[in-house]
Parts: sequence; structure tokens; C-alpha cells
Amino acid sequence: MTLGQTLGRLRTLLSAPAGEDAWGHDPAFVRAVQPALDVLYDRWWRITATGAEHLPDSNPPTRALIAANHAGVVPWDGAMIATAIRRNVGRDVRSLVLDWAFELPWASTAIRRSGGVPASPHNALRLLEEDHLVLVFPEGAKGISKPYSERYRLQRFGRGGFVETALRAQAPIIPCAVVGSEEIHPKIAEAPGLAKLLRAPYLPITPTFPLLGPLGAVPLPSRWRIEFCAPVDLSAYGPDAAADRRLVLELSDAIREQIQAKVFENLIKREGAFL
Amino acid sequence: MPARRILITGVANFWGANLARALLADADVEQVVGIDTRTPPADVAAAVTLVDADLRTPELRTLIRASAVDTVVHADVPQFPEPGRAVRQLHEVTVMGTLQLLAASADLPTLRTLVVRGSAAIYGSEPGAPAFFTEDMAARGFDGRATRFQRDMGELEKLVEGFARRRPDVTCTVLRCQPVIGSTLQTPITQLLRSPVVPVTLGFDPRVQVLHETDSIDVLQHAVHHPLAGAVNVAGPGAISLSAAIRRMGRRALPIPHPLFGAVAGAGSRLGLPPMSEDTVRYLRFGRGVATERMTGELGFTPRYDTRAAIGAVADELRAAR
Repeated sequence: MTLGQTLGRLRTLLSAPAGEDAWGHDPAFVRAVQPALDVLYDRWWRITATGAEHLPDSNPPTRALIAANHAGVVPWDGAMIATAIRRNVGRDVRSLVLDWAFELPWASTAIRRSGGVPASPHNALRLLEEDHLVLVFPEGAKGISKPYSERYRLQRFGRGGFVETALRAQAPIIPCAVVGSEEIHPKIAEAPGLAKLLRAPYLPITPTFPLLGPLGAVPLPSRWRIEFCAPVDLSAYGPDAAADRRLVLELSDAIREQIQAKVFENLIKREGAFL
Repeated sequence: MPARRILITGVANFWGANLARALLADADVEQVVGIDTRTPPADVAAAVTLVDADLRTPELRTLIRASAVDTVVHADVPQFPEPGRAVRQLHEVTVMGTLQLLAASADLPTLRTLVVRGSAAIYGSEPGAPAFFTEDMAARGFDGRATRFQRDMGELEKLVEGFARRRPDVTCTVLRCQPVIGSTLQTPITQLLRSPVVPVTLGFDPRVQVLHETDSIDVLQHAVHHPLAGAVNVAGPGAISLSAAIRRMGRRALPIPHPLFGAVAGAGSRLGLPPMSEDTVRYLRFGRGVATERMTGELGFTPRYDTRAAIGAVADELRAAR
């Protein structure tokens, strides 16, 4: 990349968006950050993505809810899944992001321009009804903040709200398993007092943070695998099934078990965690 | 359709006066009665039947009965101080004024339509808020984060709901308007967009949604003729990031770290910037979007300007005026 191109990209990042949609998603912003994400994807984490044939492409764009396991203290998994999707089917996924992120300066702006929205069922439903690809981490903060000793053990999927939303929107659910994200920031302890003080959902202590200061924010170069599974078709149930608590929990558990199994499968396929 | 007799509260403010003008031009409108303690513009004062009264006077009931109107448009719901409505009066005017107006209208036999100029500020501005609020999402119990005006709007809508229950023969419409912008309207938000530098919160670029001033009058007029029971969001469809809006207006953003925002805004108001209410500060930090499907569908009103076009139109109007 020439210096001119780099400066042009920086300009896009810092200036007011020109081509944003009503959600605040700005494709120009995404194009400007993509080269940096590509370096992380190809060189840093050397990601192998499989099952991309299960992703709906953009002619015509159809709706789907992608449900993935969540890990790694800092949600790089969201950015990498989005990159895998963009590379394979050329679509920008809309991520449901923890509300707290929207209280942060700069991060809130960057997340929104990249297609992130506050994780509210209203947002998810509306995005699906507009035929977007929506990414959800059903474990939420519980998944991303779990200690390293519990790595690759999926946390509970809450009340299965994501299934409810998918049923209501008549969208298929694509389970997605991510391996490698657990090792980027191995959390060995937590500082709940300080987290409360900073009004953060959690504050991790890792081998490098806060010991190495800002350097501790550099994620470790683990090797990743991302697998998209065959879509779970919910059209047989109809939108009214969203009110059926038992069905919702059953489907939610089945999807959780499938992702868990795929996580173990990919752990074996990956061989070395770092090399 | 029988000739309409319409009462407008706050007939001296921007919405009251312009709505009176619009309704007087309608063929089926026989009489417009205006209530205000302030004097409306001369042409409006000449054409409407003016009642110089405060909504909180005990005589209001007699006055309203005598008017025998079929429609009441409550436009005296100030979000921001305006001439004759100082900051400390706002709560009093909004809540007590509405209470008295509805009490006085409760036994008016001719009444069929009530239109209230409410506000989308009832939803607040929250970081984790849905990107497009629908009408059923207005909070019932307001928590500690709610601003004064937000609570006032909650109280106002509760009063209207109570009135609608007592008078099932009256169709009560509350228009939850997003901030109105325009080249003639004077509010802290329009003044901000007109000032050479616009204070914004450092690191935040919220999605904002606005309503063009002509649409804000048209929707009131539309609701008088086609009322719809319940609350309706009113906004230019779509949304735009604040930074893009400021750029389109040809202004510069002045980023201020959030902890200093109150102090800087306070100092700014002494230097000629408009005073900023808590709602405005939160709106500039977190923004707000509402779903407009009920407005275009059930109410049957399509604004002339979507949010992006409204910003563009105001920018062009101001450029032409200079």
C-alpha cells in the first residue's frame, strides 16, 4: 500500500461518514479498517475458516442469525468472524454488541460504523427483517470473561432469546464454532472492585495485563479455526412458536451442544495452539 | 363533514401560530380559538379568536365550554425555554397546564379530537437503547437516569391516557416528535446547528434523527383531520450521524471530553451559545432513533423530508439566507 492510500484510509477513519445507513453502518469505514484486520487474520492468528458454503450470499441477500461461542476477554472473535464472512460471501455482518461498549468514547463510534448495534432483541429482529446477516454471542459477557481454566467450555445460553428472535423473524440459525480466541488473553484472575469503579462488566488480569501496561493489550498470536455449520431451519415452527418457552430452550440447548461439539472437533484439528 | 371548530393552546409559539395559519386555510375549518398568555404574530392574532388566559386559571373550564370546539390541539408543551416560558416554568406549564386543560375539556360534549404535541424525548437517550424505538417502548417507571423533561412527558402521556379512558368518544393522538429543525425555528438545537462551532462529546458520534419544521406543522394539521388513538412517533425517516449532519450544515464540531461538557456548555452559554438542557446533552452524546412505520402506515402521514433531506434543506435555507 502506498503512503497516499494509507493517508486516504486514515482520513476515512477520522472524518464524518458519507455512505452510512440508518443504523450508522458505514461500508467505507469497514473498507478502511479491513487491511489491518487482514493482517491479524492471515499473519497474526493464521485463521482457517471452513463451512463458508453455509453462509447465504448476497444475490439476493437473505436473512440469517449466526450464533457463535464467545471468548478471549477482548471481543476480537467478532471482528474475525466478520472478516471471514466478508471474504467468503462479501457481506457485512451486523453484530449484537454488549450495551456497555456504547458508553465508551471512540470504541462506540468504531463499533457502530463497522455494523455493531446494542444487543437488544428489538435491534436483532429489525435487522433480520431487513434481511441482514446478524451475529450473536448467546453466552454474552459470561463467555468472554470466563477464566482461562474454563476455556472452550461454553457458558449458559441465557433464556434462549436469540432463538426467540430467529423464530419471530423466520430466520435460519447458523451455528459457528471458534477456536483460538481463548488463548489471546488468558484470564487468570479478575479485579471486580476496580471493574465496579470503572463501571466495566469485568476487568481481567492476564499474564501480560496489567503487568506490561498497554503492551498487555496486545493479543497473543494463537492459531485460530472458524467453522460455520449447516443452517438450522426454523421455518417448520412458524413465528408464533417464539412464545413456546420449552421449544425455545430445547432449540437453544441443541445449538449450544452442536457448537460445543464443533469446538472440540476443531481443537483436535488445530493441533498446536500457537505453532 | 360539519364545519370544524378548533382550539389551539400555545397559539403564540411556533407550532401554535403556524398550525393556526394552516388550519385557517382549510375549507372545512369554521373557527380557530387560540389560548395563550402571550401575543401571537399579528396575522394570527387577527384571524383567530384569541383567549388571553393561562391554562391554569380556574375560568378555563367556562372558557372552553363556551367555545364549543370539536377539536383541542395542545401545542403549549415547551421542551425548551421560549419567550414567556422561562426554564423554571417548563415543568409547571407542561404538567399542570395539561392537567388543567384535560380537566376543563372532560365535560365538553362537542369534543371529538384531541391532538397533543408530545416528544420522542420520552424514550431518553441511552447508549444501549434500541436503534429504532417503537411506540410500545416508552418506559413506564422512570429510573434515576431519566431527565426532568422525560419524566414530564411520561406524566403528560399518562394524563392523556386517563382522559382517553374517560372519554372513549374522543380520539386522542400524542405525536412523539423528534427534535424539530428549521431555518426559522428558534430552539437550543437549531441555534446550536447555526453556531459556527458545535460542541460535541469527544469520541462520540451518535445517530440523530430530526423532523423538518414544515413537517412538524403538517403532521399536527394531518392529525387534526385524521386522528389516531394513542402515541405515534414522528420523525424524518432514517438517521444520520451527528458528525455528518454538522458537516452538511457547513459547521465545525468542537469535541469536548464528557466530564467537562457541562462546564464548557455553561461557559458557552455566556458566550452566546444556547443553554443546553440535560436532554440535549444526552442527545448529543448518545442520540436516538425511532421507528416511523406507525406514522406512515396507521397515521397515514409521510413527511416531506427524511432526516438526511431535512438536514440538507436547513443547510441550504441558511446558506440562501446569508
